[in-house]
Amino acid sequence: MGHDSGNIGDFGMDTVSLAGPLEAKLQAVREAGFGQVMLSAGDLVGHPGGLQAAVAAVRASGLRVTGFQVLRDFEGLSGHLHAYKVDIAKSMLEMCAALGCRLLLVCSSTSVHATDEPAALAADLRKLAMLAVPMNIQIAYEALSWGRSVNQFPQAWELVCAADMPNLGLGLDAFHLLASGTPLDDLELLDAHKLFLVQLADFMWLELPSAEARIETARHFRVFPGEGVHSAALAALVTRLHALGYRGDYSFEVFNDDYRQMPLPTVAQRARRAAQWLGEDVLRRSVPLPNQMRLRR
Amino acid sequence: MIPSSPQPLALDREAIAQPSNPLGLDGIEFIEYASAKPQALGQVLEMMGFRPIARHRSREVTLYRQGGMNVIVNAHVPALPSGVLPADKPVLAAVALRVRDAAAAYAHALDKGAWAVPPRVEVMELNIPAIHGVGTSRIYFVDRYDKFSIYDVDFVPIPGVDPHPPAVAGLHFFGLVQYIGNDRSDDWTEFYRELLGFVPLPPEQRFGILPKGRILKSPCPAASTFYLQLIEPEASVLDVRSDEALQRIGLGTPDVLAAVAALGARGVAFVESRGVHTEGRGALTTTWMGSVSFELVHDARPAGAQEG
Repeated sequence: MGHDSGNIGDFGMDTVSLAGPLEAKLQAVREAGFGQVMLSAGDLVGHPGGLQAAVAAVRASGLRVTGFQVLRDFEGLSGHLHAYKVDIAKSMLEMCAALGCRLLLVCSSTSVHATDEPAALAADLRKLAMLAVPMNIQIAYEALSWGRSVNQFPQAWELVCAADMPNLGLGLDAFHLLASGTPLDDLELLDAHKLFLVQLADFMWLELPSAEARIETARHFRVFPGEGVHSAALAALVTRLHALGYRGDYSFEVFNDDYRQMPLPTVAQRARRAAQWLGEDVLRRSVPLPNQMRLRR
Repeated sequence: MIPSSPQPLALDREAIAQPSNPLGLDGIEFIEYASAKPQALGQVLEMMGFRPIARHRSREVTLYRQGGMNVIVNAHVPALPSGVLPADKPVLAAVALRVRDAAAAYAHALDKGAWAVPPRVEVMELNIPAIHGVGTSRIYFVDRYDKFSIYDVDFVPIPGVDPHPPAVAGLHFFGLVQYIGNDRSDDWTEFYRELLGFVPLPPEQRFGILPKGRILKSPCPAASTFYLQLIEPEASVLDVRSDEALQRIGLGTPDVLAAVAALGARGVAFVESRGVHTEGRGALTTTWMGSVSFELVHDARPAGAQEG
């Protein structure tokens, strides 16, 4: 790392921001100075050498896997639909375990076939977490802003609390929080130890009034923190989370069609600028001492 | 279950041991080792008072018994999941639990989020339902242990051998020690609570001479109850491998010193160090074959509990 290196160890990129083969993505992330990366199932199953080759590439990269995504539309189904989704969940967990990854991201259901009965949703999340126990995997449950019955993080948090499993926690995606206008004061509801992952992204317009606008923006027009018009809100968010005691990972969940047709190092450098802004200017993290030990909770 | 009424559950407020035993759990039917060296392991078991009494009809599997305890030594090649060859160091590969209704217990476990172990049954053999446990181990559910024995189907008795050898010094299954990763006690507590009805004991309630970790009590009747002891790595160990596994068997006896004397006469050595040594509350055998040890724990069972 050069003379400008700050402490960006808390931040990682997500392969969704990058085009190209897995090895190229891992190299770009690594060369930009990141120590971790968030992976998608598509990175593994789409690898020309198959799952094992993909896992080997990830291990060889030296990058820690922040988390594995994403299990969709899991909770609230019944009968054969539930059985089908349990099978899908088990495949996701097996890939996650093969990676040596400790976290599976699950986003709230958008399915019209799912019930909105909170007890049933919580029971399904509890079962999913139970499936993950023998593999030592944590489940981070995230509210999609266009989720059917869970579309803001306080609702997701209520379900996490009701399900009451030690390896089930909340995944917080700043995009959805900003898009749905959830007040930052609601963060005070959270127990920082049950916040398993924070994903950060900005976007270019001020408001997203409809679900269609949120979906379109979320999937194509996100930018790195500091590049959009919500820098102040993002800075306030990470500051609040820090004050709350959150010391986990921040991953840049940036879906952007333009980035996916730019050279990987160019995109990774944009991510690095975002990490430096957040790490140095916002959180004012000090550079760690050599051989610093990370204390257990 | 998730409370849907506004009435708070007692479990949410305080750790009251629930007397419920939804599966009708009734002790350990057998414990299974997987080993590429079944003869060497058999010698260890015989030293500990077990006797080989039957062999499997189709596989390299032997049944050992003393008193009410059955131990299976499995040297069959696909003994472990994904065709892993049995290692030189024996591993505790499975524990079989006696339940009221094996099919119901299996269905309950799967419904709550257990992983089914696909059956590998040969013709005319019993299909014993199993779920994945810690590491590569399995948990079997057995309901034929009263009038009819599972061993009658799959095993052939060894001729001229007493099928019911008595236990040395009243030895009986007391529990299993499970090594787990950092910060994993809560995960495994929920696993055993939800799937099998175990409850954690308060930290001050301990048995034997190795009090570390968290102890879970089975919901079995007093005569067949047993315990799981979950042990995380030492806090000073930073780079511990995250492997998790069943580590050793705990054997209960009404008289630890008499058991130590009787086993000592059979050639069993016990650990005598500054931290661990034989006393009335318990004892720990030395480790054989790199992985096999037994812990003795003082435990007086009601009369008749040691019968098979």
